[in-house]
Parts: sequence; structure tokens; C-alpha cells
Amino acid sequence: MKTMEEVLQDWEAVIGLEVHCELTKLETKMFCGCKLEFGAEPNTHTCPVCLGMPGALPVPNRAAIQSIVLAGLATNCDIEKHTMFYRKGYMYPDMAKNFQTTQGPKAFCMRGWLDLAVDGRGAKERLFWDDLAEGETSENMTRTADGYTAHVGITRIHMEEDAGKMVHIGGGEGRIAGATHSLVDYNRAGTPLIELVTEPDLRTPEEARLFMQKLRQIFLTLGISDCSMEEGSLRADGNISLRRRGSTEFGTKTELKNINSFKNLHDGLAYEICRQAEVLEEGGVIYQETRHWDPSAKRTIVMRVKETADDYRMFPDPDLAPYDLSDEFIENVRAKLPELPDQKAARFAADFGLSAYDARHLVEHRFTTEFFEAACEEAGDSARDLAKPLANLVLNDITAYVNANEGVDFAATPFTPARGVQLVKLLAADEISSKQAKEVFAAVLEDDKDPQAIVEERGMKQVSDTGAIEAVVDEVLAANPDKVEQYKGGKTGLIGFFVGQCMKAMKGQGNPKLINQLLEQKLN
Amino acid sequence: MAQHVTERDVRGIAEYTRIHLDEDEVKQMTVDLNDIIESLKPITEYDLDGVEPTFHPIGSLSNVMREDVEKPGFTQEEALANAPARQDDCFLIPSILGEGGDR
Amino acid sequence: MAGTNFATMGIREIQAGLMNEEFTAVEVAEASLARIAEQDKDVHAFLETTEEQAIEAAEKIDMVIDSGLDITVIGPLAGIPVAYKDNMNLQGTHTTCASRMLESYVSPYTATCVRNTIEAGAIPLGKLNMDEFAFGSSTETSAFGPTRNPWDLERVPGGSSGGSAAAVAAGLATVTLGSDTGGSIRQPGSFTGTVAVKPTYGVVSRYGIVAFGSSLDQVGPFARSVEDAALTLNAISGHDPLDCTSQPVDTDFTANLAEGAKGMRIGIVPAFMDAEGLTHEVKVKVEEAAEHLRAAGAELVEVDLPNAQAAMSAYYVLGPCEAFSNLSRFDSVRYGYCDPGHKDLGGQYEASRANGFGPEARRRIMLGSYLLSAGVYDKYYYPAQQVRTLITADYTRAYEKCDVILMPASPRTAFKFGEISDPTSMYLSDMFTISLNIAGNGGMSMPCGLGADTNLPVGVQLQSPQFKDENMFRAAAALEQVYGKAPVAPAFAAKAGE
Repeated sequence: MKTMEEVLQDWEAVIGLEVHCELTKLETKMFCGCKLEFGAEPNTHTCPVCLGMPGALPVPNRAAIQSIVLAGLATNCDIEKHTMFYRKGYMYPDMAKNFQTTQGPKAFCMRGWLDLAVDGRGAKERLFWDDLAEGETSENMTRTADGYTAHVGITRIHMEEDAGKMVHIGGGEGRIAGATHSLVDYNRAGTPLIELVTEPDLRTPEEARLFMQKLRQIFLTLGISDCSMEEGSLRADGNISLRRRGSTEFGTKTELKNINSFKNLHDGLAYEICRQAEVLEEGGVIYQETRHWDPSAKRTIVMRVKETADDYRMFPDPDLAPYDLSDEFIENVRAKLPELPDQKAARFAADFGLSAYDARHLVEHRFTTEFFEAACEEAGDSARDLAKPLANLVLNDITAYVNANEGVDFAATPFTPARGVQLVKLLAADEISSKQAKEVFAAVLEDDKDPQAIVEERGMKQVSDTGAIEAVVDEVLAANPDKVEQYKGGKTGLIGFFVGQCMKAMKGQGNPKLINQLLEQKLN
Repeated sequence: MAQHVTERDVRGIAEYTRIHLDEDEVKQMTVDLNDIIESLKPITEYDLDGVEPTFHPIGSLSNVMREDVEKPGFTQEEALANAPARQDDCFLIPSILGEGGDR
Repeated sequence: MAGTNFATMGIREIQAGLMNEEFTAVEVAEASLARIAEQDKDVHAFLETTEEQAIEAAEKIDMVIDSGLDITVIGPLAGIPVAYKDNMNLQGTHTTCASRMLESYVSPYTATCVRNTIEAGAIPLGKLNMDEFAFGSSTETSAFGPTRNPWDLERVPGGSSGGSAAAVAAGLATVTLGSDTGGSIRQPGSFTGTVAVKPTYGVVSRYGIVAFGSSLDQVGPFARSVEDAALTLNAISGHDPLDCTSQPVDTDFTANLAEGAKGMRIGIVPAFMDAEGLTHEVKVKVEEAAEHLRAAGAELVEVDLPNAQAAMSAYYVLGPCEAFSNLSRFDSVRYGYCDPGHKDLGGQYEASRANGFGPEARRRIMLGSYLLSAGVYDKYYYPAQQVRTLITADYTRAYEKCDVILMPASPRTAFKFGEISDPTSMYLSDMFTISLNIAGNGGMSMPCGLGADTNLPVGVQLQSPQFKDENMFRAAAALEQVYGKAPVAPAFAAKAGE
């Protein structure tokens, strides 16, 4: 199989996402007053409505409608005032009524969009962006200083309800295949669920990953869901097809179902691109089918071939009143819109003089945003001066730590924003070196002590006394006359050797900047 | 009489509605459905151009919602009391293989 | 209490007897249950009696009376024997919808309208036979055997609320509740000579009523007097937060019963009085009823409902579509019939639904599924909803000229078992009742004497505009002045000691 980079030379990938998000922050279900709770004893949060008992009737949760309108406003959607709930019929044991109550041709939220900033390694997946001049646009892509912006259309966001949960017994690892029977728990049945459908505007797995990440960040900011991909409160299906570069027609798509992490979304789509290319290049045909990404086997497997379009016998639900949302309802929701990540990034750039790059990466994750904001507040008047080193701390050290410790809640660690400010101040005052700063960062996390205390305890204070450093420099140069000769003969790379020797002599506490300066003075 | 549905269609509908029909029943159901559908013909012949549909008998009905407040529901035993089969506090069903297991 | 004949008594009489300590509520309950045990063998109106709940409710009433309070503080149905169509959930009872599918289902909750009667003091006697899932006009499709018409045991009581109608006609309950999707209250009311009311859609909560056609179904009372029907409707009407379509109705339906018909405008649809299939004897009685109202000071005006024929087609599209969807929940997983021994769910589904549903239910489910399928939806379902707009407009125009529309409830009197087997002609018996459900308006069948040819009860149908149900009650009360209260069917009146 070719690599994706090779494939994308000849083929263009066309990707659309369907994102399901449970409104876990609500108290109760979509159409009944049963409590929303993940992980409760089976079948302890049910009632006639969510158990689909004969005669039960649904009544929609106002807060769920407010939440979806909020989600729509935050993703630049038009709010559709006149909508109805529909019944989507299919018999499946986790769906208590054997129809799902969802929305018809008109959803509460229509025609939205999000812009994705793609840079660094991620930008490399898309070809030809660097042929554009900064600010120039081609299709949905606009060149930026360090990558490009992809404009991604959102077709709609509609309101629906989640199904119950099943456990399959007798097969391997809880799979349906080989199972002799299954157990159904309806606690989750009727959980308010919003489904966002994008236009087929994504072109690379990285863009898909960034879209999901950005959407998750927005939903978290709105406070409508815990967006836990592990627990399934945020799930994505990816539709993907290939077409020859230059072609404008769509190829046959496959659908990757129920992807439960950003990495799996990226890797599953990347695999599908390679697999489809191989099939097509060998003269084969892509079947419209749903596939499952198996991360351990690193491949996708067929789940179901769709011979014909599904016919769900959709019709307006006669038990539910149509919606005629008032301007007042919509404006009341709009008033609750918090500052969204893009707005926050713009503010970070404006208020703290950060680069656009730093600002947008700071708002990519909750822990980065929250830490940075809290630290700036802590820093008070010096926030603007400390913002850049704080951003570096967050985007480098803290991000690396969080990435290395899966599932860690950084806000719960001993490295508080106040300690972050203290550390950055020590660094800014040249009291410690950046290398020492990394050691202090690790030590704070380890020992739960203030940076100041660790520096003192470990005698780590950086020596910035020019006299003391000069003495050491002289000693080192005197001890290595041969190296000095070589340096002067053109081997300037030896500067690193001299710096290392000086640092060693000073037990790592010398200010590397000053050592460098003095060495260069004396050697040249 | 016009043939609205064939026996093959009826088998498809039976499969969709999950009602087993044997061959004789398929034949009879095909006759019955064609009769009934034929009797519905007038609805296809009215001039309804420009007539808005009314999905609800109460025209003014709109925006009915409840507050997001928890209400008591079933106990676990009440929830399961009518289950034809149960196990481990869940509803027990036989293998669902072939039920379009893509969800 | 010896010789007290509860079977023929109305609500006020029973309550007066209770207050005067002529008898106790427990005695009313016990006597009613005893009478059912004895007389219902012939009628088969009841599918289940609820002795424990009846006695328990009666004891509460007696305690209130013993404490010296007026029982009307409990509610309008205090001490009154009431029974329910078996599509109404009453916690702890079977709610079978007269189907094998729900033969073993025990309600884990109570329908709002049933709860309302019990909170109003009713003594719940039990659950009543019906056409399976309310699919029918004769109660012959009940999986547990048909109900017989107390006026002639060789004949059907009508349907689908045949048990509810027969129980009242035989004096087995003072009032009963039924449901009406396309005439299922009014037609059996007509066949059994009972006052049978289908209120405006939204007057009574549908929560807990096993749904047939969700946009068409409405619950209403059967009684032997207009006042009893009104009192019962008072008890069950009003807004229910559990039903989005229920409305904040606080009408007192007894308020204008004494006003008489003077000054009322009664609409007659000439085309209906000459409708094909309308029997002469019914036509004569219905015209007489109109004349009685005129004699009482009402004005008869001609109105037109030009799209009534379209309403028939629309109904036979919308009903099956909604029924198909509503009945998809019966799948052998959470409740209901489960065909044993299947190793895969698909087989269990298909056998359970094939064997659990009767032929009419299977037919309507499959028809609805077809009508909603891709490509077909636009041909039938969508036009049916457009027709609803036309019907509503027809009624709006008609009600500019009148307060009540008068027409037959059924084109004929009760037919014999097996007399009508062809589904299409069975559907014809709904010709006068269906438009109303499409529009969501109120309508009732009011007994207007016996047909000259069959000597069986004829019902005149009184219809009123949306949420103006008091209009038809007023006209019905005026007719009751002429005809008297509805009698218990003669054979059962005799058995009641009359």
C-alpha cells in the first residue's frame, strides 16, 4: 500500500463528518424527566417514555433546545424558527420505541461554518497550499503566514435522542459477532443528542481531526456537554471518498462509524485514503459501506454494505408540537454565549501581544486556555511582559507533560498558575536558566513546592555575576589551549564545548547567555 | 385493478415491519393491500396545488416544552417487570447478528 | 340496600344515595362487581375486573362520608362505578388492547385520564373489550372474543370501543371511557343507544392511552345521560404536562345543559342526509331529532362540508401511517408477546409480531409502512395532510353559520356478527364520523329512539367547533328533554329488576 503522502499526489480526499454530541450537562433526558447519569446501575433511570411503554408520550426538554440553539449560534448557523420533530423508523433493540425522534428536512441550526487554522506538520498533509501567497484563496483554503485556513461548511445541527446500550455475550470481547445473546440497558435511551453534519469540505485527515478538536473546544466552552470521546458523549462518523486530482465529481464514499478518539479519526481516515486508492488503482470498485477502524490491527473492516439507501419512513411526529421559535427565545440564548475560542485567541493576541500562532494554539485545549488565563490574571500588571514566556511554558512544557500523561487533569496538579508565574518571573529575571526552569517545572510537579523554594533548596540560582563568570571562562580557556587554537583556526563549533565546560565548572548555574557573550569576546 | 404492490414488495414490507408472512399470507396480503391502496386513489386525484399541509389538528399548537427538572421514574424492578427475558438487571435478547449491526 | 338498582342509576342518584346513607360505596362496588360476574357472561364487555382497586376506592369514599364531609369535595365521580377501554393503562392491571401481543402486559403506570377519574372519586370496575388496538368498528377483531350488543346479542355493539358502549348499555357501569380515532366512540354509542362523546382533540390527555393514530385519537365518556357524560368529561379534561397536545381546558360541560335549544343554530348537511348507504330508518330518526330541536326553538340551517369524501381517503392514509409507527414498539424485548425458542433476534421479532398481532393489525401496519416509504409518502401521506387543511377550512366556514352540526352517527343500526366481512364496506360505517377526527373537532352520538325497521337504537351525531364542546352538550340536553335518559337495554333492564 502506498503512503498517504504518495496517494494524495494523485488523488484528492473528500471528507465530511457527522458528529454526535450528548448534552451531558443537562439534568434530564430529551423527552422525559429521567436523570442523565453515566455509569449508573442498569435500567435505573427509566420511565414509561424512555422505555417506550405503550401509551407514553414525549415532552421536549427546553434546556436541550436552548443548548442546540447555543451550539448553532457558536458555529455560525442560521437558527431555523419553524421546525418539527420527525419519527425515524427502524427496529433495533436499543431504540425503545423502534423509531428515533429526530428532525426532518429542517433542523434547528442550518448553514453554519467553522474556519480551521492548519499549520506545522498538519499543514503538510494538504498539497499546494504553499503555492499560494499569504492571503490568497483557492477553493476553501486561504494561505496564512504559517500554513492555511480551511473554511468548513456545516450543513446542519439537529436535535435527537440517543439509544440505550447493549452488551453482547458469548462472542469475543463483547462483540456482536459470535455473541449468543445480548443485554439491553435503557439508562442512556433518550439522552439529548445533537448531530452536526459538515459539508464535504475537509481534504485531509488532519483537517478532520482539527475540526473535531475545535468543535469539542467550542462545545466545552458552551458548557453543553462533557464531550468525552472515551465515554461516548462525543462521537464522530467520517464519510470519505477519493477523486482524481482535478476532478470535480465525487467518488463513492465509505463511512467510518463511531470513532472515539482524535487519533483514531485521523488514522482511520488516513488508512481509508490508502485503502481506497489501492482498490481504485487496481481497477477495483469502492462499495458504499460502513466500516469500522480497528486501531490495534491498524485497518478498517467492513460492517455493512448499503445496497440501497435506507428508508426510515420519516414523518412528522404527531405527538410533538411544531416549533415556532421567537426572536426573544433566540436572543435570550444568544445573550448566554460565552467568549468562544476564536474570540479568545484574538483577545490574547491583542491584549498580550502574542503571535497569532501562539494565541490560537493556546485556545486549542481547555487546560492550555485555562492555565494561561489564570496565570495572566495572577501576573496582574506584568501580564503583558510575561505573556510570551507563559505561552511558551503552556505550549511546550505543560503540553508535553499532558501529552505524556494520558488522561491527567492538569488543573489538579501542584503546578498552579501562581507557581507558573513565579517560575516565569525567575526565568525572566535571569535568576535561573531555561534548562533549570525545566528542572524546576518537573520538581514542582514532583514535590508540590513553590519554584522559589525549589531553586533555593537545590542551590540552583543562576550566576549572572560577570566577574565570577569571567574567572571561570578564563580558567577554561587556559586549561584547553589546543582547543582555543583550533577555534581560532576556524572550528567555531567548539564554542559549544567551551560553554559546556564553563557550565560544568559552575555546576550548571552559570547564565548561558553571559558565558556565551564572554567566550565570544575573548576568543575573537 | 391497478397493481400497486407486488408480492415481492409485500415481502420487503414484511421484512421491514418484522412480521413473518408465509407464502399464502404474502399472496393474501398482496391482494388486501392492493384493494385498500386502490380505495385510497381519490387522495391522489384532488387538486391540492398550493394547499399547505396541516400536521396537527390544533393549528395553534407550538413550542410545547418542559423544564429540565428530574421527575421520579421506574424502579429497576418496575422497569424490568414486563420483560419476556432478563438477566443481570438488563433486558435479555437473543443474538442480534444480522440486525444491521452498524450502530 | 336490598332492591337498590345501581345498574340503572345515574351519577347524581348514586351520590344522593351515598350521602343519605341509603347504601355505602363499598355496597355499590360489590353490587356492580356481582352484576358484572353474572350478566357479562352474555355480553363480554369486560376483559378484566379490578375487585381490589374497586373496593379500596370505595372504602375511601365511605371514610369521607363517615367523617361527615360532602362527597362532592372528593370530585365529580365520587362513588361512581367506572370502567375503562383496555387501551388505557391502569397500574397493576392488564392493558391488552384486546391483543395477544399484550395479553401478559401489566401496566406499570396509570394513564392521566384514568388517574383523573380515580382522583375524582371513581370506583374502577375493570377494563373493557375493544377491537384489537382499536382497529375495527365491531369489536369482532378482539383477540379475546367479541362483545355482544346488549340490545340484541346476535349483533355487534360497534367498535372499536364496543366494550365501553355495551357495559353502559347493559347497566354494568354508570359511565365508561372509550377512545375515538375515526368514530370509535360515536359509532358504538349509536349502536347501543348510549350518550357517547368524542371531545375536541386536546381536551383530554392522551398520556397512557395506547396510541393508534396520535393526531386523531381522543378519549371520551359513555353514559346513559347527558349530565353524566358532562360530569365525567369535567373530571377527565384539562391540561396534562405529560401530553404536548393537551390543552388548558377548564370548561364546565354541565354549565349550559338547562339552557335548552332556543336560539341555537343547528347545521344540516343536505348531501349527508342523502348519502349512499344511509338507511331509511336512520335517516328518519335523525330528521326527527332535527325537528325536535327546531320545535324547541333552534334554527335549522343548511351547511356544506364539500371535502368530506376526501376526509375518508385522508383518514385511511393517516390512520395506518401513525398506527404503523406507534405499533413498532411491540417487539418482544421490553414487554409483550415473545415467541419462544428463537436463537436470533430477527426470528424472534418476526414470529412475535406475526403471532402477537391479529390480521387487521398486521394489515394496517404493513399498509402504513408502505404509505410512508420513499416515493410513496408524497403520493398519499403529504396530500392527506393537505386535505386536513381543506377539512378544517370546511368546518370553519360551516361554523360561521351554525353552533352545532347535526348528522347521523352511523349510516345504519347495529349489524349481525359476520354480516360485514369485507374490510372496505366495514370502513363505510365510518363515513359520518371521520371528518371530525381529521379536523380535531368535538362530536357526540345522542340516542334518538329506535329504528323502525330493526327496532334497534339510532344515534344522532351532534358536532361542535374546536373547544366549543359545550355547544353539542347543550343541544344534546335539549334532545334528552324529548327522548328521556338513555335506557339500559331492555333484556338487561329486566335483569336489573325493572
